[in-house]
This record gives sequence, C-alpha cells and structure tokens, in this order.
Amino acid sequence: MRDAFVGAVCERVQHDRSIVFVSADLGAYALDRLRAEYPEQFVHSGISEQHMVDFGAGLALSGHKVILYAMAPFITLRCIEQVKCAIASMNLPVTLVAVGVGLGYDHATLTHFTPEDIACMRSMNHIEVLSPADAEGAAVVADLAIDQPRFRYVRLERQPMAPLYQGRFAGALDRGLIELLPGRDVALLACGYMSHKALRAAAELRSRGINAGMIDVFRIRPIDPDTLRDVLAPYRAVLTVEEQLLEGGFSSAIAEVMIDGGWMKPFKRIGICNGFEVSNGKRDYLHGLYGIDVPDIVRGAEAVAAAR
Amino acid sequence: MIPLISTPEVSIDVLADRARWLRQEVFEMVMRQRDGHVPSSFSIAEILVTLYYGGVLRWTRGNPRDPQRDRLIVSKGHAAMALYPILADIGYFPSDELKRFAQPGGLLGMYADLRVPGIEGISGSLGHGLGMACGFCYAARMAGHSYRSFVVVGDGECYEGSVWESAMFAAHHGFDNLVAIVDRNALCILGETERLVRMEPLDDKWRSFGWHVVRVDGHNARELQDAFAVIGKTGGRPLAIVADTVKGKGISFMEGRSEWHNRMPSDAQIAQARRELAGGERGMA
Repeated sequence: MRDAFVGAVCERVQHDRSIVFVSADLGAYALDRLRAEYPEQFVHSGISEQHMVDFGAGLALSGHKVILYAMAPFITLRCIEQVKCAIASMNLPVTLVAVGVGLGYDHATLTHFTPEDIACMRSMNHIEVLSPADAEGAAVVADLAIDQPRFRYVRLERQPMAPLYQGRFAGALDRGLIELLPGRDVALLACGYMSHKALRAAAELRSRGINAGMIDVFRIRPIDPDTLRDVLAPYRAVLTVEEQLLEGGFSSAIAEVMIDGGWMKPFKRIGICNGFEVSNGKRDYLHGLYGIDVPDIVRGAEAVAAAR
Repeated sequence: MIPLISTPEVSIDVLADRARWLRQEVFEMVMRQRDGHVPSSFSIAEILVTLYYGGVLRWTRGNPRDPQRDRLIVSKGHAAMALYPILADIGYFPSDELKRFAQPGGLLGMYADLRVPGIEGISGSLGHGLGMACGFCYAARMAGHSYRSFVVVGDGECYEGSVWESAMFAAHHGFDNLVAIVDRNALCILGETERLVRMEPLDDKWRSFGWHVVRVDGHNARELQDAFAVIGKTGGRPLAIVADTVKGKGISFMEGRSEWHNRMPSDAQIAQARRELAGGERGMA
C-alpha cells in the first residue's frame, strides 16, 4: 500500500513543484525513486516527528502541499501536540500518512501498536480521516491529497493487502464507504485490515445461513449520516469490527452517527478490550488472543443478528 | 508615529523611545483586560523594535502579505502580544483593535493566531516556531526568494526538545536565511532556569548544533543591530542571537521577579509602573 501511495505521489511530483514529501526515516521501494529524481521535493526530517510536523506547517503556510510520512505510532501520538497546534489550529493543508496502523508492526509489539490512533486523530479539529484497505485505495487517496489538499490523516497498512475495491474506490470517495457485500441480517462495518477479516467472516456467516453484508467505511471522519443510514437501511443489525481499543475508536465513530440520528439498531462491537497484554506472535495470532479474529467476528455477528 | 523605516540609520535614541512606547502600549493593553504577560513582553521590547524599526526586518506598510516580506514568529507565544502595537503602527490593522485586546469579538488574542495580519504562525505552546520557520526557509529556497525568517525563542522554551530537533535540521540545511533570537531572561514561572534545570552554557549548545552564535545585551539596540548585521555572513550557518535580558524590564518591581509572570499589579503599583514607563523615577513615590 505504501508503494502504491508513494508511487502515485511520485507520478505527480514532476508536474507539481508545490508538493513536498517529508519522511521521518520511513522508506518504501517507490520512495527511492522520489528521493533520487526529485531531491528538492523529498525531505528527511530526521527521526524528529515533532519537528517534522512544525516544519510541514511552515511549508504549508508558504503555499506547499505537504505530505508527512512516518510509522503509525510516531506520526500520531509522538507528535500529537504538534499536530494539534501547528496543523489543526491553523487548518493547514497537510496530509499525515501513517504506515503500519493498528497491530501492523506485530513483531515490534506494544510501542509500535496504535490501538488508539483512530480515537486520537479523529478528535482533531478540521481533520479528515481516511483508511483505505488496498493498494488501489491508497493510490486514489494519494491523488486526493494532491488534488484536494486539506488537513487529512491517512492510515496505511504496512504489509501488502489483497485487492478489495476492484476499481470502485475512486467512485466511492464522496460517499466515504463501499458496500463490498450486500446483505440483510447483519452489516459488518470495518476499515483497513479488518475489512478483509470482516469479509471472510461474512462468507462464513452465509455458510451458516445468516445473510451478512460487509461495508468498508474507509472515511472515518467525517461520516455522512445520510449515506450511512441509507446503506444500513436494509439491515436488521450492525456489528463493527476494529483493531482498536473500543474506547473512542472506529465503532464509537459509527455509533455516534446512529445515536445523533436517533436510528439505533441492534449493535455490537468487536475490538480490543481495555487491559490487553503484550504477546509475541503474528498479527492474526494476536487477533485471536485479543478476541477480534474471524471466529470472534462470526460469534459476535450471530449474537447481534439474533438480538430482538 | 515614525514613517516607513527600512534603513539602518535609525538612531539608537529613536529605538529607545520606541521601546518605551511599546512597553507603555503593552502595559495599557494588559491593564485594560486585567490579563496578559507583561514581564515576558518587556524582556523582548528592544528586540522587537530593533527588528521592526531598526532596519532589520523587511516589511511594507499596510501590506502584511507582501511575498518578499521577512517572516517573524514570536515563538514564546505568551509574549506575542508585544507585537500588536507594532503591527498596528505599521498599518497592518487599525490601532483601535489594541483597545479590544483579548475581548470577545476583538481581533487580538491573548496568544497570537493567523487571524491577526502580520502573525505568520500560531504560537502559545512552546517549541513550534523554529520548526515552522524551517518550513519558511525551505520554501524560500525552493522558490528562489530572498526573504529571511526570524524566530524569537524564549530561554525557557529551549527546554522543549523540539527546539533542538529543529536547530539540528536548520544547521544541516544551511539556512543562513534563519535567525533565532533567544530571549535569555533567565526566568521561568517557578524561578531561575539555572536553579530549575541548568541550561548554561547556552551559546555553546547552539554553537555545537552548527549555528553561528552571537551573545548580546538584549536591551542594547546597538548590540542587537550589530548582531543582526551578521545575517548572511555566517558561512552558511543559521544565526542564533542569545540576548541577555531582564524579565519585566522597565518596571522596577517586576524586574527579575518570576512571580510577576501573569500577576496583576495593585492600583498603586499600576500608577508607579506608568510613572516609570513614562521615564519617571523608579521605585515607590
């Protein structure tokens, strides 16, 4: 995904000298070309995320389209006060690109996990939060960052993701979500890596006679209330799936829209619970440990689908 | 009012008068609102008037968006209010706004933000201005512009790690169009820096980060002018002017007293302060 994103930026840089791409020491194959061919428009900030954000703000104040790029934990919480003061407070056209969101850095464990990045970043004034789930989405979002620059937080997976959108992502940008699998009994809502898991769970649910649908909500902020209501209209129940702590994350964003609109349905949340503990192991193993793997999603969906 | 000044021939006497005027304006702004940071503003009075009226900053009367203007950020944002009288004086906004300082509906906030013409970046939280100015410098270089960027950094602000991240970056990129003026008033809210967490030798720290460093008396406009004259002659290094100052300079009972950071004086003290700022005898009448 990061290569799709950076590759798309690379294609645009040669025609648009206002673009400046700043990395706090995170690479990508596609970045090598950007660095070599457009050295003026690539800046290494040092492993200095606080400085990177202030520097990016200064560039944006000078008329540049700024893309800041770093590992997820460090471009979010490490410098969140800089993001608040230097970008949100001035509503500057800066795109923050986080790579390896959620439990993406599984081998690195707690310091590199971001089970709170959605809660933290979506609370920023003026921000748009996008979480595409495959390379196609990442490339479209890169173009968006350049064509419609604004204060934006982009969540990317660290590992390559299987294609999910089949050419439909660009057309869904305005809506902020895509119904990848229509259903009736229960709608599984997720974004990023967890959308892939939710799709697998939906298939399993169908084999068990539950007509589950799957909706990829790639724009976590803002969520258009009418669009969400329309897409959920045929469903009897809702299950949100996230790789975040349940407090304030993806599910909270969905629930807020439903509560504000006064149209609650049977609703259940799959996410990481308070008190989770460190463990070695691959991402899917950790999902099992934290109760957010496919079988957990299936069980949760069965429960909420049966709710009266 | 002094007409457009962008020549270095301004006399030191004129700058001293301007500094006195600035202190009086800031004091009355704060007293009207009964809130603000007088001592932190007063320690940078000579620095600001030397920049704006002493032939250092390039600015155009009435045009805060001139693309060729020099950029200034008062990164110790609690003292950015000291800019307001100057910005009004050079025609960036009506001076009536000074009377509505920090009031609902007014333009001028307790801390500076982008709504205020002449404010180049938000400040208030410490440790942001130098990084933003690095962005200005990089943009200037990309565009081939000759404007310079100036940042007033508090000495207490130098406790923030982000200052040193930006200092390292600026030196690496050879931003000789960047000037940091460190307001070395030696006081934080809770006391003297050297007793809280030692920061001396402060010039050596900046020097070791690759900056050209000049240390001056921050209330001596001549020394400040001489220091600013070094801009562009630093062998490709950014310039740090460590300016030794007195917090609260100009009001005897506030000078060097950390407890006055955000405290309001009594009526008698206000009268005394006004007398002293007008050039009268120092001390209680």
